[in-house]
Amino acid sequence: MTTQSAPQGRPVLLAGEEGWHRLHPLSPFVRAGRQFMSLAVVLIGISVLNQHPVRGDIIVDLAVLGLALAGGFVSWLVTRWQIADGVLRIDTGLIRRDSRRIPLSQVQAVDVVQSGLARILGLAELQLRVAGADSARSGRLACLRRADAEELRRKLLALAAASPVAAPAAGPSRALFRVRAGRLFGAVLLTRSGATALVVVVATALTVQISGSATTVAPFLPIVLGAAGALWRQFNGEYGTTVTAAPDGMRLRSGLIQTTAETIRPGRIQAVRLVEPMIWRRFGWCRLEVDVAGSRERGENQSEGRRHRALIPVGSRADAEKMLAELMPSHPLPTRPAPSRSRRKAPFSYHFLAWTADDRYAVASRGRVCRQTTWVPLEKVQSIRWVQGPLQRQLGLATVHLDAAGKRVGARIQDRDNAEALEILGTLPDLARTARSRAGQPAAGGSA
Amino acid sequence: MIDRSEVSWRRPSPLLLRVRRIEVAGVTVPLAIAGGLAGQVVSAATGIGIAAALVLAGVVAERFLARRVAAWGYAERKDDLMVRRGVLVRRLSVIPYGRMQFIDVTAGPLERSLGLATVRMHTAAAASDARIPGLDSAAAAALRDQLAALGEAQATGL
Repeated sequence: MTTQSAPQGRPVLLAGEEGWHRLHPLSPFVRAGRQFMSLAVVLIGISVLNQHPVRGDIIVDLAVLGLALAGGFVSWLVTRWQIADGVLRIDTGLIRRDSRRIPLSQVQAVDVVQSGLARILGLAELQLRVAGADSARSGRLACLRRADAEELRRKLLALAAASPVAAPAAGPSRALFRVRAGRLFGAVLLTRSGATALVVVVATALTVQISGSATTVAPFLPIVLGAAGALWRQFNGEYGTTVTAAPDGMRLRSGLIQTTAETIRPGRIQAVRLVEPMIWRRFGWCRLEVDVAGSRERGENQSEGRRHRALIPVGSRADAEKMLAELMPSHPLPTRPAPSRSRRKAPFSYHFLAWTADDRYAVASRGRVCRQTTWVPLEKVQSIRWVQGPLQRQLGLATVHLDAAGKRVGARIQDRDNAEALEILGTLPDLARTARSRAGQPAAGGSA
Repeated sequence: MIDRSEVSWRRPSPLLLRVRRIEVAGVTVPLAIAGGLAGQVVSAATGIGIAAALVLAGVVAERFLARRVAAWGYAERKDDLMVRRGVLVRRLSVIPYGRMQFIDVTAGPLERSLGLATVRMHTAAAASDARIPGLDSAAAAALRDQLAALGEAQATGL
């Protein structure tokens, strides 16, 4: 299991595998950056809106900032990490010592996250994702020098891959997709949050118009800011999304101010989802998301706790088709529609209800105005549930859920004929078992 | 094709019905008393009316208990465990042994006094939610050990 390769790259950080390393000394500033930003926003807001003196507030805010910095500094002093025997160990804590050991063979994905402040300082945060809903088990190194973080990411992935199978051959990486900024901007405005923001802005403008005085804006301000913030977060997070296929996994880069670089190891995708909102369909746009086991830890700089990662934030059907082919050797399309009497149970989503399965993937589509198509690799199915509500029983229908690892991840084969649902329940466990044993063979048992 | 009647289902202990009855009574009686007392503020008749309505609701709930308890069942098959439950919304889960991450045996004070326990199976999917309530403590422990052994033998990666 131990893969002690010769020290390479930056000697400062990665020389001497056995030794302990510290985080970058500027880390406390980056971690306090959020407080700093909010303080700046508050100060500007106060001084612009009303001119009365706010010295007391500033002192309190500065004290909070100072405490955060002091705390961050102490935390930096007592934090150290090392890689030994295929395990990443992170020790931290002054009063309550916390020592985490993360077996690298269990790593699902490695992310490099840079907040705006970290980018200015040339730092980056490394996040390791491990399966399990509990973020306490995931690893986080904040912050390292950017080049070191990249180097460490490569190293961790190589070590992680070395455990179950031979290290992947270093090969060229291929660009698969790059989102267009203009299209992303339009698409974000055309989502539900975009529509909400529009309604809020129009309502505010009308109120001001009717009342004739600008002060009536005040009560609306938090809502307007909230809506704008949501839009901004989505745009900021998904701006410039680039997907590359590399030998050690899929590489994802995105972000305008805060950039994120993720690597998803091959075979770690739990589900693939194609989302087509109503208005987007008119433009032939769609969104492709993947689910990876293990939630990413929400750090101070991690404003958006995204559950699903968009490989394609917005793209054409052709882009999606290309990416689907890349993700899944066979990607069956949901062709078997629901029986016509399910229209009475689900009048608004009946037109989208369909499913199908081959020997590797099951796929189901559903949705009212927004069509969601979910593919689940059969070898990733955790449990299969058959559910029948009272109305469904009247109509002789039933729904089958295929659960994949994570919260609310999986495909829902909705409103099928009951005999068909029971048949799915009877045959899919066997298909899934065959798929599991087939997937387990080349990796010699695989790893959790 | 799974025929629900074909599988040989194993049932929770009949004592589970008693547990559920005590639980319903434990909720209904204090609620009825509190509601009755609150109604006294308006008039005596209102108080009695509210209390009576709450007691009636409790009795109706009790009528359904027997069916709900009877709906629980589990079957150990070769490669997976099947759990069914529910009367109004009926559910049937299939959980492969190899997918179980860990197994809990819990018993509240009421269950414990009657020698019962609940077995809970956890997979990596949060939605799996498979539990079997009202098992005899010894049977629950035996089931846990058996499931753990089977899970270990068939474990596969995520």
